[in-house]
Amino acid sequence: MTAPEFRTCPVTGRRIHRDADALIRANAVAATVALLVGGIAAVLVLLTRWQAVHLLPAEWFYRILTVHGMSMLIFFILFFEMAILYFAGAVLLNSRVATPRLAWGAFWLMVVGALMVEWTMWTGRADVLFTSYVPLRAHPAFYLGVILFAVGALVVTGIFFGTLVVARRERTYTGSVPLVTYGAATAAIIAVVTLGHGAGIYIPTFLWSLGLMKVDPEVYRMVWWGLGHASQQINVAAMVSVWYLLGALTVGAVVLNEKISRSAFVLYVLFINLASAHHLLVDPGLSPAWKIVNTSYFMYMAVLASMIHGFTVPAGIELGQRLRGFGTGMFEWLRKAPWGDPGFSSLIFSIVVFGFVGGITGVTFGTEQINIIAHNTLRIPGHFHATVVSGTAMAFMGLTYYVIPLIFRKRVAFWPLARIQPYLFAGGMLVFSIAMTFAGTFGVPRRHWDISFAQAPFDVQFSPAVDVLIGTMAVGGLVAAVGGGIYILITVWSVFFGEPIEAREGANAVRPTPGGLDAPAPFPVR
Amino acid sequence: MRSGLPQGVSTPPRHSPSVDEDNERLHSRERGLWGSTPGTLVLAFVFLLAFMLYYFVNWKLLSFVWKVG
Amino acid sequence: MDTHTGIESPRGIWWKRAHPSERMWVGIAFGWCMVLFAMMPLWHLKGGQNPAGIRHRTDPKAYLQRVQEFIATYQVGEDHGIPVVSPPPGSDVYLLGLSWQWRPVLKLRQGAEYVLHLSSLDVNHGFSLFPINVNFQVVPGYDYGLRVTPTAAGDFRIVCNEFCGIGHHTMVGRVIVTDSTGQEVASTARAVLRGEAGP
Repeated sequence: MTAPEFRTCPVTGRRIHRDADALIRANAVAATVALLVGGIAAVLVLLTRWQAVHLLPAEWFYRILTVHGMSMLIFFILFFEMAILYFAGAVLLNSRVATPRLAWGAFWLMVVGALMVEWTMWTGRADVLFTSYVPLRAHPAFYLGVILFAVGALVVTGIFFGTLVVARRERTYTGSVPLVTYGAATAAIIAVVTLGHGAGIYIPTFLWSLGLMKVDPEVYRMVWWGLGHASQQINVAAMVSVWYLLGALTVGAVVLNEKISRSAFVLYVLFINLASAHHLLVDPGLSPAWKIVNTSYFMYMAVLASMIHGFTVPAGIELGQRLRGFGTGMFEWLRKAPWGDPGFSSLIFSIVVFGFVGGITGVTFGTEQINIIAHNTLRIPGHFHATVVSGTAMAFMGLTYYVIPLIFRKRVAFWPLARIQPYLFAGGMLVFSIAMTFAGTFGVPRRHWDISFAQAPFDVQFSPAVDVLIGTMAVGGLVAAVGGGIYILITVWSVFFGEPIEAREGANAVRPTPGGLDAPAPFPVR
Repeated sequence: MRSGLPQGVSTPPRHSPSVDEDNERLHSRERGLWGSTPGTLVLAFVFLLAFMLYYFVNWKLLSFVWKVG
Repeated sequence: MDTHTGIESPRGIWWKRAHPSERMWVGIAFGWCMVLFAMMPLWHLKGGQNPAGIRHRTDPKAYLQRVQEFIATYQVGEDHGIPVVSPPPGSDVYLLGLSWQWRPVLKLRQGAEYVLHLSSLDVNHGFSLFPINVNFQVVPGYDYGLRVTPTAAGDFRIVCNEFCGIGHHTMVGRVIVTDSTGQEVASTARAVLRGEAGP
């Protein structure tokens, strides 16, 4: 007897196609492996920048820093986002995956690409850091691996759009798509533009690494950041979609106004690409007019979008809680929220740290003139660890605590540890980011092996405060690393050794029968 | 909550049958500008304040460095 | 009223008027974004720090030549093997970043304006003036001419803050700023923190 093609989720009521199940699992596992590699690299880098320890020698520091950037910001996050696309497309819409065989082909292409890149990095053939600025040169396999990975991701994005079409045509849902699917679709659209920029820069650079063409260094920076920053906007759109998703799953968060939330997602699509200009604010070759227009009309409308979601997401949580009876006073909805649910605590920390630390610092440095006192100092990694780590990664981690029971159909292992994991991770990263940002205001450079400048011709005496800040940063980072390690332990253990969940466990969904599921199933459920 | 299952899986959040009417009531005119989500409004204004503060402090810091243009 | 979560399809038309509190927040956020935009052109008019500069393409070898001429014209000494130059106020100052040093060492005067040209001989470098924390990208093939006016005297360092290879962390330059009478103020960069560092 073959396995049934669809199964029904006892919590959300969705019909889940077996290919969607399998593809989500594969991508989530790949993401976790990448996270482990990137996480080990993170600890090694941290223990080197902490001058008191200064663990790695110079050559290995720059090498492992490259590994950290690539593994986290490209492999971990994009594999996880592929899983989100399959969830938001096929699962939320009760649909089959459009072209499963192509989907698996794309997955393996991404794995091959990632392995090629990791190989070149670990064997010292790509000591060029995550940005690989020309004329720093890596082995051609580095660029080729990234290209293959990007092609795979682009195919998955196409399959997501195809799944939307299939779901519509086969009427697996009624009305408009849920907001989470809408948000994922905007992330997918941005991904197409992002990966287009990626092709636009990695293909010529690959050819340059073979000696076949020239690449201008400033043009490289401009096009690369068209990939580099836009990919962060994929992360933001995906993160915000996950916020709405986690809100719904944990507390029945309500959408205040679809028009407002959807318009904010559209703002992301329209205005993010030219905003990459904020990486080039203190570059030669570009006029102030170009810098101001691209960083403001284009980024500030994306900032507006974030400020809108920054209101509607917590407001949706508040409204959902008030509607369930937690309506006394101004903040009972927050006090009486399920803080012991790691999905919920991750959600809140993600919103708060992303907004207050990441968002505020980022928009401030993205000002043409203020960038002068921030560019390439530790303020920059301080900012982006608050956004993409304490924001996006934290949200993804929180979501995993629901993916394990809902998709992997296992209980979450080490449950008491799971409940505190978000507190450790977010708390550690908060201290880490703030200390790092503060050290940057004293002029401490990023991507630097030795700020005691022992081998430099002239001495550089940082204020003694810098030592305290770097030490604080190290402690925060190590606490976060413990939190990250616990997350990986829990997920790996749950998936491979966890207790399976029986089929009919769990009560019904938020509404007894969500509107879209009243129609008869389009496919016979065997 | 049952061990190993987040509360959203073991006891998913349920809306009462009268949720639409309750929602309507929370959006009524008597609540004024505070609306249905006063707590979030307060937090949003705290955020805006922090933003303005950090932003303008940085302009001040910038003003102390060398003239460059 | 259609109450639904983010994982449920909205019922019927979802293009609905938002509640006044939401519209107020969107309006305030939009206003703040306009303030963010306006500050940049405003600072170009009223403020003293802008990354505009005079921007030209250049050829690394031609730029190196220009730097060597500049050094030959204004050299007044040597420090750790790197020539020290003292260009007159108002002149074009040529600084070269190469793996892994900044050439030459500059001796400037407080309150005087110079056009500081930045370029690289090989890969990207990062010009970071310590401890003021003024940072610019130094790109091969591009000449970034910034009109600078040192506002305080002291002994400054140029830290490279863009990864440029294995010697990146050894790449430190020096800028000496004498007071307005031409006197050197102190022998360590800490002097600037006690000097006149006003706007």
